[in-house]
Amino acid sequence: MANQAEGSPRKRKAIDGEIGMEASVTHTKQAAVAAEEALTGLNPKDGAGAGASSCWEVLPEEFEWSCYRDDDTLHQQAAIREEAIKIPYLGDREPLSALATEFELGSPILKEKIRLLGEQYVGLRRTRGDGNCFYRSFMFAYLEHILETQDTAEVERIVKNVEQCKQTLQSLGYTEFTYEDFFGIFMEQLESVLQGKETSISMEELLSRSRDQLVSDYVVMFFRFVTSAEIRKRADFFEPFIAGLTNTSVDQFCKSSVEPMGEECDHVHIIALSDALGVAIRVVYLDRSSCEKGPLTVNHHDFIPTAAAESSTAAVISTKCGEPFITLLYRPGHYDILYRR
Amino acid sequence: MQASRARLFKEYKEVQREKSADPDIQLVCDDSNIFKWTALIKGPSETPYEGGMFQLSFSIPEQYPLLPPQVRFLTKIFHPNVHFKTGEICLDILKNAWSPAWTLQSVCRAIIALMAHPEPDSPLNCDSGNLLRSGDIRGYQSMARMYTKLAAMPKKG
Repeated sequence: MANQAEGSPRKRKAIDGEIGMEASVTHTKQAAVAAEEALTGLNPKDGAGAGASSCWEVLPEEFEWSCYRDDDTLHQQAAIREEAIKIPYLGDREPLSALATEFELGSPILKEKIRLLGEQYVGLRRTRGDGNCFYRSFMFAYLEHILETQDTAEVERIVKNVEQCKQTLQSLGYTEFTYEDFFGIFMEQLESVLQGKETSISMEELLSRSRDQLVSDYVVMFFRFVTSAEIRKRADFFEPFIAGLTNTSVDQFCKSSVEPMGEECDHVHIIALSDALGVAIRVVYLDRSSCEKGPLTVNHHDFIPTAAAESSTAAVISTKCGEPFITLLYRPGHYDILYRR
Repeated sequence: MQASRARLFKEYKEVQREKSADPDIQLVCDDSNIFKWTALIKGPSETPYEGGMFQLSFSIPEQYPLLPPQVRFLTKIFHPNVHFKTGEICLDILKNAWSPAWTLQSVCRAIIALMAHPEPDSPLNCDSGNLLRSGDIRGYQSMARMYTKLAAMPKKG
């Protein structure tokens, strides 16, 4: 219950100091500095951020914890937030060449991968690195897709799944008033991207709403509830993955790594969200991994919702030509939206 | 602001409806300000806080429930995770583990659970934490019980 789990620095984030960027809530001053560096070090031209990977272990054993108060933690969190809010929740759509410019002086592997990305993708939209980037990317990519395609069948389909999620939360014992407002705000956005009604909105309005603190955070929180409900509902399925990831119980995991705002998304979360809503998601990985043999390729993974959501009616899967319509770009620790050619 | 007010109003109605559901917790909203609440919680049994009534103050931010309420003890308490002077509480759900799935009522329950299960490794009250960490359970319990008697029980006579 109490505080010891607060902000354990996650080493995973330091896998690739050069492009890892998401701020985390951390206890150690060093780690906070590293997180800030990683944030500002988005642009490798600055030469910053590269040192992040080694910063996690440097806490000296004789560190005086007794003089380390919650205030300090809060100050650090504030500092990290200040850094993060320099980027809007969602940026403007940029040509993919923006990415190439950013990594002009970066590793040759990254430069080649960005060139390869250009064969399939034309643009990207950045999101703020505040721990909610996956959910926010998903929110915008999905609503934008509906706004552009006016796919009413898809809307009808997802509405059923959302209803199902609500019932799941109820049967799990969640107090209704704790989640209903978040469901309400998402449904409002979903309805308003469908055109021809009094409440209909344009692309500009969708973008401005997605940048509005209340609407944006409420929709993010809606996805967190949906994700948590799915994980809890299928606890037997998710339990081994969670044990491997954090060594905690399903309940603890949902409480500490899914439901709080700012907690990052891992594979487990993506699987759960994709399954719960029946929406396929493609994640394209931009990292420095490469094979010794053969030409360089950009890896991607498609999260295809399984019918494991049991009731066959709910898990109607939405795909277009067998390919997910939501494509996200993953750089270690961060998600942005990608646009296909 | 509007969203937090609406949510707090729902919590208020729930508290009125469930008044007898949890006899260990009495949550009261300020007459003129829905962003200020106080709670009276019962010290859990089989702990040095048994028999005491502890008052908490809640100050609720405009971004509630996206942000947690600020909660502190108004009643003096000797506990490793409560600041002895300010009453500040060191509890993850009041900081970065907060989520809107919590309510003022469930926060009170979490604080009662913290009273019964102190976490001496993240102390705000080092004297109390050190007693527990050095294994002096008796020392901790008698100090905690003394302050419960002094501050959290009705004065006799």
